[in-house]
Amino acid sequence: MGNRLGRYAIWVGVAIVGAVCWGMLALARGETVNAGWLLFAAIASYAIAYRFYARFIQTKVLETDDSRATPAERLNNGRDFEPMDKRVLFGHHFAAIAGAGPLVGPVLAAQMGFLPGTIWIIVGVILAGAVQDMTTLFFSLRRDGKSLGQMAREEIGPIGGAAALIAVLSIMVILLAVLALVVVLALAESPWGSFSIAMTIPIAILMGIYLRFIRPGRVLEVSAIGVALLILAIIGGGWISESSPFAGAWTFSANEITFALIAYGFIASVLPVWVLLAPRDYLSTFMKIGTIVLLAVGIALTLPAMEMPRVTAFAFNGQGPVFAGSLFPFVFITIACGALSGFHSLIASGTTPKLIQKESQVLPIGYGAMLMESFVAVMAMIAATTLDPGIYFAMNAPATVLGDTVQSASQAVNGFGYSVSPETLQQTANAVGEDSIIGRTGGAPTLAVGMSAIFAQVTAFLGAGLQAFWYHFAIMFEALFILTTVDAGTRVGRFMIQDLVGNVWRPFARTSWLPGNLIASALIVVAWGYFLYAGVNDPQGGIYTLFPLFGIANQLLAAVALTVGTTILIKMGKLRYAWVTALPLAWDAAVTLTASWQKIFSADPLLGFFAQRSAAIEAARNGELYGNATNQADVQQIITNSTVDGILSILFATMIIIVILDAARVWFGLIFGDKEPEMSEAPWEESHLDSEGREIAEPVGARS
Amino acid sequence: MNNPLRAIWEYLKEISGENAYDRYLALHTATHPGKPPMTRGEFYRHRQDEKYSNPGSRCP
Repeated sequence: MGNRLGRYAIWVGVAIVGAVCWGMLALARGETVNAGWLLFAAIASYAIAYRFYARFIQTKVLETDDSRATPAERLNNGRDFEPMDKRVLFGHHFAAIAGAGPLVGPVLAAQMGFLPGTIWIIVGVILAGAVQDMTTLFFSLRRDGKSLGQMAREEIGPIGGAAALIAVLSIMVILLAVLALVVVLALAESPWGSFSIAMTIPIAILMGIYLRFIRPGRVLEVSAIGVALLILAIIGGGWISESSPFAGAWTFSANEITFALIAYGFIASVLPVWVLLAPRDYLSTFMKIGTIVLLAVGIALTLPAMEMPRVTAFAFNGQGPVFAGSLFPFVFITIACGALSGFHSLIASGTTPKLIQKESQVLPIGYGAMLMESFVAVMAMIAATTLDPGIYFAMNAPATVLGDTVQSASQAVNGFGYSVSPETLQQTANAVGEDSIIGRTGGAPTLAVGMSAIFAQVTAFLGAGLQAFWYHFAIMFEALFILTTVDAGTRVGRFMIQDLVGNVWRPFARTSWLPGNLIASALIVVAWGYFLYAGVNDPQGGIYTLFPLFGIANQLLAAVALTVGTTILIKMGKLRYAWVTALPLAWDAAVTLTASWQKIFSADPLLGFFAQRSAAIEAARNGELYGNATNQADVQQIITNSTVDGILSILFATMIIIVILDAARVWFGLIFGDKEPEMSEAPWEESHLDSEGREIAEPVGARS
Repeated sequence: MNNPLRAIWEYLKEISGENAYDRYLALHTATHPGKPPMTRGEFYRHRQDEKYSNPGSRCP
């Protein structure tokens, strides 16, 4: 009894800590709020959600059954199906879901102040994102690890399934383009960055040869060598940027980097995986986990104050320089991965379900790993909002708005209602070892400036002037795993195309057939390369135009996953609990469809693609300039971009409406008709493993 | 024995797949006695090719 009281007391304590921290965030008077409040508000909220809500979903809604053998146990072949220790699998799953999204999204959303984004990161993950990951993982687990597309086809029907497949492929293209755009914007005109990122290619090849022929399978030692070489490459980049002939040779324009990246994506997709992709995968995983841990330690040690206001005027007037549109729906679109990410449903229905030992482990692996991801997003928000808002806007507004000089940028920032002196802008650029930080959109450079300030404070005892190293360390860390995603994503897209065309013409589906490989790789690279090139040369700013599209696409995929989840819950006879996935679905559909509506139909040319198109056409007809265009070619570029992006918005919205309508047809048939639910669940089989994965003689517990 | 550093090392070896070969060897001798197992090099090359020939997606 006393024990029980003690447990209650602990949870009441956690709730009070959480409430006080939230109160401080929302209401505290004074100029700034300390990041510590945000950190503890997040942790207390996660703890309560994990202990109560996630446990409720596990025991009442999904009713996980540890006496039921998982696919890993039943189909164990020592390769793709294999029971894996839950701590190790947690690591793998987290490494697979944590990418650049949770880092970039919060940085961009910070234009509306730190509070709206933060609330959505924390509330969204608890009620939507982690629920999606956990339920998708569980449903795939019950179906021998089937993919989201297969589940959509089997549980909803061929139409919904086909729409889901097209949605996945087109989302992939936009995703790759936007991520590549982030890298291009971080490396353009930066000899230091270009050199150190270029060096990752020979480092990866070296690691690949070592791992394949010299010491096969010795992943840890080769990763240690790789990380050491990486640090050397960053230090080397510093020397390059200071020695005049080399600095010039390593300075590339945005377009040069764009074409290098497109060529690189094609080559990496065609080459055998051991040359580039596999070693780069190891390198980026270790860098990613290591840097996230470093950032957590850095924030905990320095406890910086957040300089950005809680809510800025851009949240309501929709005139923000980073992306257009007001708080609803665009903050939810922009945050993306840290709160709810459709992409996770592809991983939760891919590799992970084939490795789980026990059904109950969907709680730590599905829900828990997503809470970690959300925490990464919270840290990114902290790093971005500890910057002076003036610097933030000088870095994140489109370069065409800011002009070329620190003076013009300072004036433009004044126009947004914030102030920063030209001297401060120059000093910040000098401190991070760059010529200029103006108009460095894409989120990565902003995050790197914020992170490097925190790290430099921690390492201040080693001497001043380390901020430049840390800035390029952060850029390297982001670019490295974005490039890994570009490699892997191009390959995934290539396989999808080969699979699709293979339905019509057989030989194309053979992934080892060289002409098929080359054609499919070229198709996918040209597709994302087109959007990348258009983004880099968009007079309105590539991130400004494309990031909302990427966000809509990602949230749309989440809607597909939540629709599939709701359908399965109803089929399982859990109509009473279907709100667990149906409510986040309703919210997500409202957000994505409102955003799509505004992007397609808004009369405001800053917001609506077609309104922008007509306005630009009108301007061209009168021989005038439009928007940030400086000549008629720019105006033509704006017309083309807004047409293509508008059509894409229509495509996305149509796909999601088809999937939801097709699913609603199934729901009504089940609820009001007397249709027997057809489920494709694998039959029950008794488990012979205990919760640690050891073989046991006696069954886990007799099933009644 | 309960050294935390040792535990971290074991975890890293497990998560990086370094001792996958040892587990393969144990499973192989148990299920296919008499058949010669793959060497360490063969095993990793085979596993790597297998893993990426049907890649899942990953998050941005």
